[in-house]
Amino acid sequence: MALPSPEKPADLLLNESDSSVSPVDAQNGPGHSEQPLLPWDRFSCWLHCVCVVGFDLELGQAVEVIYPHSSKLSDKEKISICYLSFPDSNSGCLGDTQFCFRFRQAAGKKIPICYALDHLERDAPIFLKSDPGHFYGYVYFRQVRDKTLKRGYFQKSLVMISRLPYVNFFHSLLKLIAPEYFEKSEPCLEAACNDIDRWPAPFPGKTLSLPIMGVVMKVRIPSCYDKPGTIQIAQSCQQDDAQVSVVLPTVHEVDLFRCFCPVFFHIQMLWELVLLGEPLVVMAPSPSESSETVLGLVSCISPLKYSSDFRPYFTIHDSEFKEYTTRTQAPPSVILGVTNPFFAKTLQHWPHIIRIGDMKQAGDIPKQVKVKKLKNLKTLDSKPGVYSAYKPFLNKDEEIIKQLQKGLQQKRPSAAQNAILRRYFLELTQSFIIPLERYVASLMPLQKSISPWKNPPQLKPFSQEEFMKTLEKTGPQLTSRLKGDWIGLYRHFLKSPNFDGWFRRRRKEMTQKLEALHLEALCDEDLQLRIQNHTEVETVDLVLKLKDKLMQAERERLPVKADTLSRLRTHIETVIGTLPEDLQGILLKPGSPQEATS
Amino acid sequence: MSFLPPVRRDRIIPNLPQCYIKEAALQCKDTFHSKVKRACQDQRTGTVGFKISKIIVVGDLAVGKTCLINRFCKDTFDKNYKATIGVDFEMERFEVLGVPFSLQLWDTAGQERFKCIASTYYRGAQAIIIVFDVNDIASLDHTKQWLLDALKENDPNNVLLFLVGTKKDLSSAAQYMRVEQDAIKMAKEMKAEYWVVSSLTGENVNEFFFRVASLTFETCVLSELEKSESRRIGDVVRINSNSHNLYETKKNKANCCK
Repeated sequence: MALPSPEKPADLLLNESDSSVSPVDAQNGPGHSEQPLLPWDRFSCWLHCVCVVGFDLELGQAVEVIYPHSSKLSDKEKISICYLSFPDSNSGCLGDTQFCFRFRQAAGKKIPICYALDHLERDAPIFLKSDPGHFYGYVYFRQVRDKTLKRGYFQKSLVMISRLPYVNFFHSLLKLIAPEYFEKSEPCLEAACNDIDRWPAPFPGKTLSLPIMGVVMKVRIPSCYDKPGTIQIAQSCQQDDAQVSVVLPTVHEVDLFRCFCPVFFHIQMLWELVLLGEPLVVMAPSPSESSETVLGLVSCISPLKYSSDFRPYFTIHDSEFKEYTTRTQAPPSVILGVTNPFFAKTLQHWPHIIRIGDMKQAGDIPKQVKVKKLKNLKTLDSKPGVYSAYKPFLNKDEEIIKQLQKGLQQKRPSAAQNAILRRYFLELTQSFIIPLERYVASLMPLQKSISPWKNPPQLKPFSQEEFMKTLEKTGPQLTSRLKGDWIGLYRHFLKSPNFDGWFRRRRKEMTQKLEALHLEALCDEDLQLRIQNHTEVETVDLVLKLKDKLMQAERERLPVKADTLSRLRTHIETVIGTLPEDLQGILLKPGSPQEATS
Repeated sequence: MSFLPPVRRDRIIPNLPQCYIKEAALQCKDTFHSKVKRACQDQRTGTVGFKISKIIVVGDLAVGKTCLINRFCKDTFDKNYKATIGVDFEMERFEVLGVPFSLQLWDTAGQERFKCIASTYYRGAQAIIIVFDVNDIASLDHTKQWLLDALKENDPNNVLLFLVGTKKDLSSAAQYMRVEQDAIKMAKEMKAEYWVVSSLTGENVNEFFFRVASLTFETCVLSELEKSESRRIGDVVRINSNSHNLYETKKNKANCCK
């Protein structure tokens, strides 16, 4: 590269990313060579569809347009989208409002995830993987007075339906598209969707240049190899570029401080509630506040994945309304964001309720408030705060509260407050999870117990008591100065869905690692020598077994060394070569019996 | 830096490419502006090297805007016509005088129904390429309207204009001569630089885009230098007393009032 100006390292970084994956490169990029692209293939890597939801005087809310026209939504899904795309109740959202919702995909049909997303599925951090059972809806809602309309108001939502949890990205995208769409209608949507259909697929770890509506958005899709808590994309310092390119510092992170500002005295308790998967409801004056707060809660335990259901905006029309609000069972382990005052009554029996007042008052410095008693929660006009009988396991960290308070007094920018809070949560979660990681790693059998001619050894079982014993010496006290009942917190966590989800993934990863090590051990063997003393039947059996292994490795993308698979293929061919010719013909055929049965 | 592929060899511009015809050119100099050359040698190009310039391509339906871009960016030519929906986009990287420089090429739709959204795509362009078909005199007439529309979203003093005739291969020499007179006249009126190309044969396509890249690059560096110079003057003034500078501005104002 020629002549980078030495005093502008940040810009240099930016430039580097400018052209790293332009839509042109991506055509030849990884994952794109296998199949020809059909129209909307690229689009569907990012979005399932775009909907316009309007208000019809006779029908109520209705999906007016679905784009691309070929995209499929069941009637049930359409109804969900209709209700979730408008603020419910009489909240006076005048002007433009943005929020997000999440809904269950209708049962019985599986939409195959775009094959170009293989890389995303493998290399995305666990909390950012696309969600096969749910859709996200990202909404841009406009409500303005319009005397020419019978209803007196223009009310319309532009909604993007996607599996990707990139809230910040889609909100920025809608901010570019929606205002133009409301003014210029359908050609604008057509053009925007065609822009998106030329984008490269989201690729973890890469900075993408995404042209849309006359600007180029630059985003970096996080990768599971990123160090948590580091900023991955250089910010543009040039203002005159703003019309030409927009750099997004993050695709998915919400402003935690803004979310938690009304209740920031309780952040640590909220962290515990989320970690333990306790039923939690956020009552907010508008969907933008409810959705932002729910997403903030879910992300406060990152890099742990929140494993239960969460609904950034939940309405009484939701298909899970009955399931989640029934009084015949204990409240489920979910986080709901609601705005309809009706919920204050329906969810009265819930153990933890966060009530958020109007964000307009957020400029005020919240005074020290106690956790409120649940019986004080009135149906209407309750004061903002956290209503719960929960006693936190850990002692309160006064320092972070003081730090944030000081920031408020000094009018520290929200971005800086957010960074402090995010760092705090990250350190807390890591202190909590490291002892578990360490213990689980010790469940791995020794390398020497792997024999190429036996099945791979099993992982040792997880024993709660043994794990608890490790805490005495290598517990969270090594990395956190917080005191309190850590043991109690772990005991509850081990029963929670978050632990279950986390441990399943770990166990799968470790089992695959064992399979991979076993495969490598097998490749190191001299197979020709081995088959010399074996019968033909046994050799055929070996070939079939090896083929099976190879297929498994390819299917599950086992973490093997780069050349292992090609070595295995060579081995298979060599062994087949030692067999009589008629057998060779059968075994070398691509659709040999083994492959047909598996 | 390692993962950024080097600029393609055939995208390196060491000298100023010449105009197509001196009669209708933005400038007729043989070499880059001396200030620009010096700045590039001394690595004083500021942020230009990390910059992208936005170029928009406008013109009537089916005059060959997409073909022109495809010939240059992908070196392909597709005889079948496929209407552009909304906008196409290509990014092209160059190295001018040793400095990396990128062009964003926004290829807009010529169809009437997309005109309403065009303004969205026009914003912030550094150069406008107005395309007409040399075999279709009406498309030349319409270039005026395309220019007006595109300039609504851009500052006319800060944007370079190119008027490009396409499909030269379809026109006989005699036919072309007649159109050229009109086209050159139009280019002069618009203060645009005139070019004629064939995307089918590739005639003049590379030359044209190199010229676009070079002139936008030069403009970028000059404005960058101007900015840093004015900043330097401001600093000096702040250190010494600023009486001289005050006098200057007063004088300028007085001139304005006359």
